[in-house]
Formats: sequence, structure tokens, C-alpha cells
Amino acid sequence: MRRINWFAWLWFTLGALYFVLPLWGTLIFSLQKRRGVLSLDAYSAALGDPRFVETFVFSNFMAICTILASLLLIVPTAYWVHMHLPRWRPVVEFVSLLPFVIPAIVLVFGFIKLYSKPIVLLGIPLFPSLTTSNLSTNLLLIAGYTVLSLPYMYRAVDNGLRAMDVATLTEAAQSLGAGWWTILWRVILPNLRTALLSGALLTFAIVVGELTIATFLARPAFGPYLALLGNHRAYEPAALAIVSFLLTWVAMGLIDRVTRGTRDVVAGSH
Amino acid sequence: MPFLQLANVRKLYPNAAAAAVENFSLDVEAGEFVSLLGPSGCGKTTTLRMIAGFESLTAGQIVMDGKAIEEMRPNQRNIGMVFQSYALFPNMTVADNIGFGLSVGGSTKAAIQERVREMLALIKLEELGARYPYQLSGGQQQRVALARALAIRPKLLLLDEPLSALDAKIRVTLRTDIRAIQRKLGITTLYVTHDQEEALSLSDRVVVMNHGLIEQVGDPFEIYNFPRTAYVAQFVGTLNLLDAVVVEPTTGSVQIQEQPAHTTSLQDCSPGERIRLAVRPELLALKSTGQADENRLAGVVENIAFLGAVVRIQVRVGEALLALDEFNNPQLAVPAVGSPVFVYFARSSCLKLL
Repeated sequence: MRRINWFAWLWFTLGALYFVLPLWGTLIFSLQKRRGVLSLDAYSAALGDPRFVETFVFSNFMAICTILASLLLIVPTAYWVHMHLPRWRPVVEFVSLLPFVIPAIVLVFGFIKLYSKPIVLLGIPLFPSLTTSNLSTNLLLIAGYTVLSLPYMYRAVDNGLRAMDVATLTEAAQSLGAGWWTILWRVILPNLRTALLSGALLTFAIVVGELTIATFLARPAFGPYLALLGNHRAYEPAALAIVSFLLTWVAMGLIDRVTRGTRDVVAGSH
Repeated sequence: MPFLQLANVRKLYPNAAAAAVENFSLDVEAGEFVSLLGPSGCGKTTTLRMIAGFESLTAGQIVMDGKAIEEMRPNQRNIGMVFQSYALFPNMTVADNIGFGLSVGGSTKAAIQERVREMLALIKLEELGARYPYQLSGGQQQRVALARALAIRPKLLLLDEPLSALDAKIRVTLRTDIRAIQRKLGITTLYVTHDQEEALSLSDRVVVMNHGLIEQVGDPFEIYNFPRTAYVAQFVGTLNLLDAVVVEPTTGSVQIQEQPAHTTSLQDCSPGERIRLAVRPELLALKSTGQADENRLAGVVENIAFLGAVVRIQVRVGEALLALDEFNNPQLAVPAVGSPVFVYFARSSCLKLL
């Protein structure tokens, strides 16, 4: 018994060192902007840069739009697949995993190639070039982000749907006179709250740090700003990396809090 | 005209070899409580789901209150349904669950509150309106589900094995409550169950189903005492099946295990024909002498089981094994295993099965 504990602790320590050491190094490095003393100079410089605020706000806004877009796309799709096309579930799952296989660079070049010209179908112009205005390029950016977030969001929603008796709840609501949208809005969505929050926070984390799509669509996002900063400064990118980590941890803490609440509820039912 | 009419309803699932429901015709009067009884896979739940609108019909027609409903969507039928798994909305309180149908239907807040109060009083859970489903016991959850289904004032109430997930004691109290509420509201009700005791104790009429077909429709008394087929006789209650040979159809004379006996139901049989007779255990008696017109079979006691209020005795008569029930009392003289006995039963209690 003691032997097993000793091994467990050894592996835990090794694992912890593997993760903590680089972080610790980055943290110490980010505090050494002023020679000889530890200071928060790098943090005040990085956070005081107007471009930081501008790109950070832009990326946050894009993240919120992406979350809304992916919810609108994925919740009804996953629900419909659960209810009416259960045999198609593996296919939809496979499609949702494609962003892991297809690099973002391929996706963004496809976007540019297809949408930088007006789209014409059988001589009828469907919509103009999408890369000519900021607004339309932002829409393309959101579309790209939605694709990137697909594996996380679909999985979260799918797990949420599996955890409840979707079919019977739907039938109960139908027998009480509810239509599809009422069922989705008042029965399914509220019960997916935890799943949606996990999906949304993961999407948020991905979008805020995303580099490739934002760079090639030439949008003022946080990812490209961070990369640019890394090319010209030493201490500020380290400071921002630490800030990003803190934000991610806060997000993880939030997920844990919300899901723990749900576990209590489930445990309480037995 | 009956309130609910199912005419030649058929359901064949794609790629299925046999129909789940075949040639199902049933008339239900307004205010009637009808049970669909049968083993799992007999088509009873499929029939209920077709009435609710969750399954489409392959053929046939369903008319409710003078209107054909088989093309209507489930949310347009105004049929209340109670599910085996309760299906309460976990994100809503008890009051919100009960008021859901009314709020979907566009009732005012005040009207919803009033109706919710009324329903909570009906199910005797007045003080639990603010609780969430997970804070209730199974029995309480099913009461709430019943109140939710009734709150919308449905034309028809469907109950799909509503008591199966509950323990035995609560099952009995809740089924009495369901029947009392149904009587009070006078709502036409269809009840699906595989539990014969539930079906017999609750219903005005019972529909016994097997392999998608109706075996027999009748009131509980009729179903239990005059089963039309061997299947119904065996499924409802315990039954002794006896192989017999017809001796004289006009007098009802037969041979059971080479002993003479009589029955009253041999109208269309011919001498020498092999038939199957059925007798309920409670209609058999162990006596030393009986009346002249009673059937008497000689046998040997093979087993005695003490079941509390009843003692079940098994008697070997030739190749047949007869089970008979005696009411328990301290003075009861139970014969020893292996002792020879006479089993008596009335001619009329011995029925020929189709």
C-alpha cells in the first residue's frame, strides 16, 4: 500500500513540475523588467498599451459573437440529431471533429479564396465580396471561430443532451401544447445550462488567443497583437502570458463551480 | 357515439417483420377508465403513443370527440399524458411544472396561479409548490406529473405505466388516488400497464393485448371469470389448465386424466375431440364428500405452500398438476404431502378455452 502511495506521489510531483516550472520561469521573467529587482513594470507597460485594450476588447466581443453563433447553430442541430436522426450521430460527431484535422491556415485560405469575390449562382449574385468591409470580414472571422469551436461546443451540448431524457421531456412538453421553439427555449436550453457554459468558456479561451485566422483576415485581434509584441518586446509577452493563464484559471474555476452545483443537485435526487 | 374511437389501427415499424399493433379497434365512452393490459412488447404503449401523436399510424383511424386526430400534431390534440419516468422539467419548480401547459397556452398569470393552487390541492401537495422535482419522492413526482397533465383540462388522459417505477406500498395508494381523481373529474382515461392487479382494480374495462392484437375486451369481472382465450386466462390471475377428451357434448361429459367430469361449455364440440379446460385455483376445494353435480378428481398432494392469507396446495391428478387455494385459518386441516385426496369443483367453474 505504502509503495503505491510513494509511486503516486512521485508521478504527481514529476507531472506538477512539468507544468509548473515553465510557468514559474515565465512569471519570474515577467517580473524582471527593471534590472536587479522584481517589479510589475512589464505588467503596467503591457496593460497600459492602448493597442492591448483595443485588441483585447475586440477579441472579447468576437468571442461573445462566436459563442452566440455556435449556440444557434449547434444546439438545434444536436437536439434534432438526438430526437430524429440518432443513426447520424457518429457522422455529425465526425464532422464536428474535422477542425482538429484541418489546420486553421487551410480554413482561412479557403475563406479568402471563396469569399473575396462576389458569390454568383447560376448568374444570380447571392452576396458581394465579404473581405471588402470591416463588418463583413468580422462576420467571416466569427464564422471561422465558430468552426474552430465546433469540437468543444458540439461535445459539450451532446454530453448535456445525453445526460437528460430529451425524448420524454420533449414529449411531455408537446403533450402540454408546446411547439419546437418553446421546448428548445424553455425546457432543453435551461437544462443544458452547465453544458453550454463549459462549451462557451472553452470557446472563449480559444477565440481570445487565436492567431492564424485573425492574422490572415487582417483583423485587430488579441492573438496577432500578442505575437507582434513577442517579436519586439521580451518582458511584456511574458506578463500577458501570465495574465492569460490567470484568466483561463478563472474560467476553469467557474466551470468547476457550476458543474459541482449540478452534481449536488443530481446527488440530492437519490 | 363513443368519445374515443380507434378503428382498424395498425402500426408497422420500418424493417420490422411483424406489425407492432394490428387491427386494433376500440370504442371508449366519455368518462370511462380503460386499461390496456399485456406483457412488454404487446403493442399497448405503441397504441397509447399513437393516440398521443408520438407515433404515426400505418393504417386506421383515431376519432376523438367527433374529430379525426391522427393527422394532428401532439401539441394540438389536447391530450394529457403521464409517463413512467415522470418527465418533470428539472429546471422548474413544482408550481412551474404544473403551470407550464397553461403558460404555453397563453393563460394569464393570475389564472395560472389559481389553477396551480387547485391542482396542488387535488394531489394533496399544497405546501410543495416551490420545491424542485429532485427534492420530491418518486410518488410525489408522479402526483405532480398527474397534476401537470390535468392542469390543461385535457379531453383525454393517457397514463403510460405510471406506477412501474414506484415501490409496492406507494403503488397501491397512488393507484387508488388516481382512480379517485379520475372519477371526481370524470375525465376519459386510458391506462397502460403490465400489472393485472392494477388493471383489474382500477378499470371500468380492460383490453388484454398480445403480439399487437386485442385478445379480449371486457370489464374486470368478465376478464377474470370468463377469459375467452387460453392467453387471457393465463395472463390474468393463476389458472389450472386441464387437457380433456369430449365424451358427450350435449351433456357436457368429458374425461380428465381418465376420470369422468362435466363442463357447461361444449356447444360446438364433437365426441372424441381433445379440448383444454381451465379452472381458477380458488374454485377448487379439497373435501371428503361433495354434492352430486360437482366434479370430483382423485389425486395425491404433491406440495403445500403457505402464502399468508392463503395456503396453496398442489395436487397431482394423473399427468396434470392442479393448484388450489384454501383461505388460511388456525383450524385449517392441511393434508400431508403424499396423501391421497379428492378435488371438488363446480361444473360451471370449468371453462373450455378457445
